[in-house]
Amino acid sequence: MKRIWIIIFFSVLFVAFIIVWNKSYWSGLEESYVSVEKEKPHSYLPIDRGVFSGSERGLRYEEMPYDEAHQRSLETYYDNRAYDGAPPSIPHPVKEERSMGSVTCLQCHKSGGFVSKFDAYAPITPHPEMINCRQCHVTKNTEALFVKTEFIKKEHASVGNNNALPGSPPVVPHHIQMRENCLSCHAGPAAPAEIRVTHPQRENCMQCHVLKMQEVTDREMNTTKFSLP
Amino acid sequence: MKVATNRREFLKKMALLSAMTTAATMFPGILFAEDQVAGLEGLDNLEWKKSPCRFCGVGCGVLIGTQNGKAVAVKGDPASPVNKGLCCVKGYHSIMALYGKDRLTKPLVKKNGTFVETSMKEALDLIASKMSSTIKDHGKDSVAIYGSGQWTIPDGYTASKFFKGCIGTNNVEANARLCMSSAVTGFMSSFGIDEPMGCYDDIDYADVFVLWGNNMSEMHPVLFSRILDQRQKRGVKIIDFATRTTRTSMAADKSIIFNPQTDLAVANAICYELINKGRVNESFVSKHCVFKKGETEMGYGLEDNYAFNDKPALIDFEEFKNFLEDYTPEKVSKYSGVSVKDIKYMAAYYGNPNTKVMSLWCMGPNQHTRGTWMNNLIYNIHLLTGKISTPGNSPFSLTGQPSACGTVREVGTLTHKLPHGVVMNEEHRKFAAEIWGVPAENISPKPTYHTVEMFRALDRGDIRFMWIQVTNPMVTMPKLKRYRDATEKKDRFIVVSDVYPTPTTEIADVILPSAMWIEREGMYGNSERRTQHFEKMLTPPGDAMSDTWQLVEVARRMGFEKQFNYKEESHIEEIYNEYRKHHAGKKHNMAPYEVLKENPGMQWPYVDGKSTKWRFNEKYDPACKEGSEFDFYGNPDGKAVIWQRPYEAPPEMPDEEYPYWLCTGRVVEHWHTGSMTRRIPVLHQAMPHAYVELNPEDAKRLNIATGDLVKLTTRRGEITVPAAINLRGVPEPMQVFVPFFDEHMLINELTLDAFCPISKQPDYKKCAVKVEKA
Repeated sequence: MKRIWIIIFFSVLFVAFIIVWNKSYWSGLEESYVSVEKEKPHSYLPIDRGVFSGSERGLRYEEMPYDEAHQRSLETYYDNRAYDGAPPSIPHPVKEERSMGSVTCLQCHKSGGFVSKFDAYAPITPHPEMINCRQCHVTKNTEALFVKTEFIKKEHASVGNNNALPGSPPVVPHHIQMRENCLSCHAGPAAPAEIRVTHPQRENCMQCHVLKMQEVTDREMNTTKFSLP
Repeated sequence: MKVATNRREFLKKMALLSAMTTAATMFPGILFAEDQVAGLEGLDNLEWKKSPCRFCGVGCGVLIGTQNGKAVAVKGDPASPVNKGLCCVKGYHSIMALYGKDRLTKPLVKKNGTFVETSMKEALDLIASKMSSTIKDHGKDSVAIYGSGQWTIPDGYTASKFFKGCIGTNNVEANARLCMSSAVTGFMSSFGIDEPMGCYDDIDYADVFVLWGNNMSEMHPVLFSRILDQRQKRGVKIIDFATRTTRTSMAADKSIIFNPQTDLAVANAICYELINKGRVNESFVSKHCVFKKGETEMGYGLEDNYAFNDKPALIDFEEFKNFLEDYTPEKVSKYSGVSVKDIKYMAAYYGNPNTKVMSLWCMGPNQHTRGTWMNNLIYNIHLLTGKISTPGNSPFSLTGQPSACGTVREVGTLTHKLPHGVVMNEEHRKFAAEIWGVPAENISPKPTYHTVEMFRALDRGDIRFMWIQVTNPMVTMPKLKRYRDATEKKDRFIVVSDVYPTPTTEIADVILPSAMWIEREGMYGNSERRTQHFEKMLTPPGDAMSDTWQLVEVARRMGFEKQFNYKEESHIEEIYNEYRKHHAGKKHNMAPYEVLKENPGMQWPYVDGKSTKWRFNEKYDPACKEGSEFDFYGNPDGKAVIWQRPYEAPPEMPDEEYPYWLCTGRVVEHWHTGSMTRRIPVLHQAMPHAYVELNPEDAKRLNIATGDLVKLTTRRGEITVPAAINLRGVPEPMQVFVPFFDEHMLINELTLDAFCPISKQPDYKKCAVKVEKA
């Protein structure tokens, strides 16, 4: 009886060996060919995905003294934008016209710092991962217009009137697309004085500051269901 | 605002913050936000609505902010699978193009050389009576409509139905003939059915990107950013294969420069190398491909009434192999300027079975006197290696206008086309006539004029009436002077529908003010077969009227009330639903109107509630035969064609008198002729005028510095342009480049009207020019 079990055991092993060996032999003979991958579902990221990026700078900012002689004002900050939320144009000459941006821009605009040539602190980009900078940011080479414009812009958000109750945390009065990283504009030496945050060390901005609802759509808040293609 | 936080203040603030935080957690977040916002002033009527971008063929989804009846802001639509929330500078400022001060708001009629304001009713009456009398005096084929890839789908459909179905002339063309007809004939000859098999999602899978004469960083920046994103995440390779050093070359991992026109030879050399190194996917080729050759030495269409018909003949693999013996990398390297090493480098990526390759191209191979061949040759490479119709393996032909695919190619606003099929085919004519509600005999079985020939016919007097909508041919036609003079001849009546004064409205007899983009409802179709709907968000200024409704009004006046019996408030929906009938079936079904309204676009074939991302692949495309694996169902035998296409020289090459090559193109800031983008302050201030790029060596020899005026002369004319040395792009020695957006420096006075004999698309990239310091 014991012998039968041993024989069965070894014959099972043998059969298994033949199957495994066969499989690996045949797959070895297959032509190498790129296999079709499974479709990745379209995922779009939540609207506040970038809030924590760059927050490691918060603590440093807290300790940084302000250089009042070189601080920007909200007015000059907005001057550079066609409407509230428009990508700012480049207010200084650029080094390399044939570059899409990338390192040329990021050497100053990634972590900021004082640039003596322009006598100013370089503002920090909220999206350093996007390196085709000049896809959206262009220089200004003339003051002249081709034809006058009658465009009425969306007014820039103003400061001091965004609290519902006295002392309640102000809402975020602008949409945050492409500028989800709050600290890049609201802290550090290049931040406009009026909108500088008093507590850059607190990372979870949207815990207290909620988005003004008119500034976003359901599409962005990810509350509507799409039958996505 | 210096913050001197002492311990007490800090604690106070902490207490305040934590109180608020607690409040926030106790109330449901959204309610809390609304409560807060209720107390805030302003922005109450700010609304965001989705639309595809007005400009290029990428078809980014944008969200338009409107307030008090005006468009006031733009952001990217994060729900759009095309751009996932990112736009380019043109897209972000696109709404400003609606508000130039010189917007056309009243119809204008030319009387004794000056334009006089009139009412819309009178202008439309005049157009209808002029059309009727021209048809009576000179026959049906003396009236023509010239539209564009910026026509919405309903615009193009109405034009086609009106001219082809009701009037009975095939004089329907569009400016897309000048930008992607080689892509169409490339698809038709290789696959028997138009438009890319793959989609933008291929970017997320491919390992190597080969850009064939495509300055993507400036021309398709949003897609280029998707590639750059993949490079950061997965380390993909970008190869820029071009005639000039651009931002794209600088961003690419490898820049390979070739001599103009020799892309034909290099593509063949890659095929030679694939076969020579045994990199052909033999099972794919034997199951899914056939080999063919066509006519050679076809000419260049420089003479009037030029005609050409290709005569395809089957060949076998051996013959194809023998043909390629002339294209060894060593032989090709001698005249292409591309080193043997670089040819082998590209072939190695295409040939490696474990590398997924996406080829991208646009005007380089298309605006080419052998444009159809060039498209065929890129498909050859992908077919020989079987790298097609699977995620990441994709020959992808890009387009430059928002609805070049959606309107011109799918609706078929070209002389030989119908929405489904071609005018030469009786079945197709009957099918269209039935949906249009006209007798089948109404549709003429003979194609008439392609774009260049249409303007030549206007010059000769064969065409007496032309209606131009949404395009600016008096800036874009090659060899411009001949065609401008044609419009000014006696007994020519030109109607122009546009939004701003342009060099084209100058030559008009009647100018109709059009409603632009989101001032009316419509649909665009982008390069990846995605149809996108936009609703009417704004009231058009003054008397401005959509191009669709202008056509409907004139058609009704000419007695076609029955065919154009649409209600004004719902005509776009009615027209779209009627149009869908032409494309019913698994191969080309369009998504229903309601689905388009809800979603950020849908890709045709839209079957069983799903977009088809990869055509011809059984796994993804329900139109494929069962068990076929790959089914190129455009051709009756289900097989794709690998074409034997040789290198042939261009019609005009630099010589002693005109020693430089002239290439034309675009810049990132401006779109097409700049009639919209130049009215956007940010864009005009960034790029105020055209320029000529010279190679620094040539500039030094000619003693030309940036800003100096340079006189450019060809056999067709001359212009003076400021020089730009070492700026946006650097051409090779003895080559120059000029962008075409500037109506005050019309480079097309200089270009040659030679075209690809198969596609009839002119070559704006190559002619001989003389360069002198002015």
